[in-house]
Amino acid sequence: MVNDMSQLFWMCSIAGFLVFIIGIYGLLVTFNLIRAIIGLELLTKSVTLFLILAGYVTGQTGLAQALAITLIVIEVVVIAIAVGIVLCVFRHNRTIDAQLLRNIKG
Amino acid sequence: MLSLFLLLPFLGIIALNLPVKGRRDAAAFLYTLSLSIGQAIVVLFNPGDFWAKPDFWGGFFNLGLYADNLTFVMLLSIGIVVSTAVCVGWQTISDHRQRLNFYNLVLIALIGMNGTVMLTDIFSLYVFLEVTAISSFILIAFHRDLNALEGAFKYIVLSALATVLMLTSIAALLLFSGGTSFAAVSAAVKSNSGNVIVIIAVSLFICGLFIKGGLVPFHGWLPAAYSAAPAAVSILLAGIVTKVAGIYVLIRLVRDVFGPISEISSVLMLVGTFSIIVGALAALKQDNFKKILAYSSISQVGYIVLGLGCGSPLGIAGAIFHLFNHSIFKSLLFVNSAAVEKQTGSTDITKMGGLGSRMPYSNATNLIAIFSTSGIPPMAGFWSKLVIIMALWQMGHFTYAAIAILVSVITLAYLLAIQRKVFFGILPQELKHIKEAGIWIVIPAVTLAIIIIGTGLCFPLLFKSFLMPVSSFFK
Repeated sequence: MVNDMSQLFWMCSIAGFLVFIIGIYGLLVTFNLIRAIIGLELLTKSVTLFLILAGYVTGQTGLAQALAITLIVIEVVVIAIAVGIVLCVFRHNRTIDAQLLRNIKG
Repeated sequence: MLSLFLLLPFLGIIALNLPVKGRRDAAAFLYTLSLSIGQAIVVLFNPGDFWAKPDFWGGFFNLGLYADNLTFVMLLSIGIVVSTAVCVGWQTISDHRQRLNFYNLVLIALIGMNGTVMLTDIFSLYVFLEVTAISSFILIAFHRDLNALEGAFKYIVLSALATVLMLTSIAALLLFSGGTSFAAVSAAVKSNSGNVIVIIAVSLFICGLFIKGGLVPFHGWLPAAYSAAPAAVSILLAGIVTKVAGIYVLIRLVRDVFGPISEISSVLMLVGTFSIIVGALAALKQDNFKKILAYSSISQVGYIVLGLGCGSPLGIAGAIFHLFNHSIFKSLLFVNSAAVEKQTGSTDITKMGGLGSRMPYSNATNLIAIFSTSGIPPMAGFWSKLVIIMALWQMGHFTYAAIAILVSVITLAYLLAIQRKVFFGILPQELKHIKEAGIWIVIPAVTLAIIIIGTGLCFPLLFKSFLMPVSSFFK
C-alpha cells in the first residue's frame, strides 16, 4: 500500500513538472496570443496538481480540494478576460500575432 | 465590523446593477465617492472599539479579518486614492454606460484591495489579489485601443506568472504547515528555518510579489500598463493597486509571516537599489508625461523596498510612511497628467509649454507633488526619505544610503524637466485656447496638495503618535 502511494506520488509529480515545462516552453516560443494563453493555462494546471499533491502527501486532502476548486474558478475568470482582450486585438489587427503588439517602447 | 469594508462595496455593486430607470451613473458616482471618502474619514478617526465588536450577523460571513496599524494606514490610502480616481473618472469619461462600468469595476477593485489588507490567510490573500488584478485588467483595456490592449495583455501574462510562482510557493509551504493561515505558515517557516524547500518557497513567493509590484528585473509590464491606461485608471493603478498587491503584501509577509531572514533582507535591499537607479535613469530619457511618472513609480517603490530590507523598526516605519506618501504624491502627479491630457489631447511633453499661465491650479499642485517626490523639505516626501536614509545609516549600509541620496537629485531632474516643458516656458500658438481642467480634477488635486503639505508640516507630531506605533507592531 505504501509502495502504491509513493509510486502515485512520483508519477504525479513528474507529470506536474512535465506540464509545467510544456507551459513555460509554450509561453516562450510562440508569437500566437491564443497559444500564450494555453501556455498560461497549462502552468496553472500543473500548479493545481502540485497543490493537490501537497495535500495528499500531508493528509490534508479536504483543504487541498477546497484550494484547488477555488483556484480553478479564479483561473477561468482570468482566462476569460485574456481571451476577451485577444478578441479585441483580433478586431483591431485582423491577426493574433504578438509581434504586432510592440507599439509601446520602454 | 471590519467586514463592512467588503460588504458595502459588494451590496453597492448589486444595487447599482438593478434594472431601474434613471441616471444610474450619477448614483454610482455618488455611492463610490461617498464610500471611499467615508472609508478614509472613518479610518482617520479610528474608533478602536468599534472594529473589535463582532459582526451582528454572527459567523455567517467570517473571513478571519484582522486590522492593525499597518492595515489602517493602507485603508486610509485606499480611501484617498480611490476617491481621487472616482472624481477624475467622472470628468474624463463622458459616456453614461462607460461611467457605470467604470464605477462597478472600481468597486470590485475596492473590495479586492480592502480584502487584501485585512486578511490573515495566505490563500485568501491570493484570491483577493486576483480580484484586484482582474478588475485592473479590464480597467486598463477600458477604451479598447490597441496600446491599452497591449498593456493589459502584458499585465495579464506577467500577473499570471506571479500567481503561478505564489501558488507553487503555497503548495511547497503546505508540505510543512498544517494550514494556510498566517500563524500556521509562520510557525512552519520558523521551525524549518534551514530547510532548502522552505527557502525556495519563500523566495518564489517574494519573486511573485516583485512582479506584482513592478520592481526592476520584472518591471516590463508597468510602463506599458500605466501609460496606455485611461487617465483615471492610471491614478488607481499607480496610486494604490500595485502598492497594495505588491508592496503591502511584501511588507506584511516579510515582517509578519516569514520573519527576518538575512538573505531575504539583502536581496530586498539589492532589488530596491536597482529599482531606484534603473527607474530614475529610464525616466530621464522619456518624453511621455505618463511614462516618466511610471518609471518614477518604479524608482520610488525601490525606496520603500530598500527601507523594508533594512530591517530595523525605523526602516520599516519609513517604508510604510513612504508607501503612504507615494500613494498621495503619485496620485497627484497622475491627476495633473490627466488634466493636461484632457485639455491638450496629448501626453507628449515636447509639444507643450507655458501651460502654467492657463492652468494655475495644475501648475501649483504639480510643483508641490514634485517637491514631495524628490524630497524637498518641508513636504511629506522629504521626511519619509529622511527616515529611510537615517535607518540605512544606523544599520551601517552607507553605500545604499549614498545611492538613495544621489538618486533623489536625479528624481528632481526628471520631474523638473516635466515642469519646465509642460508648465513653464512659452505657450505655443495652438495651445492659446487652453483652460483649466474641470472642477472634478481641480478639487482632488488641491485636496491632495493640502494633504502633502499638512503631513509634511505635522510630521514632528505624527512621528511619535502615528509612525513609530506602525512599526512597533512587528516584533
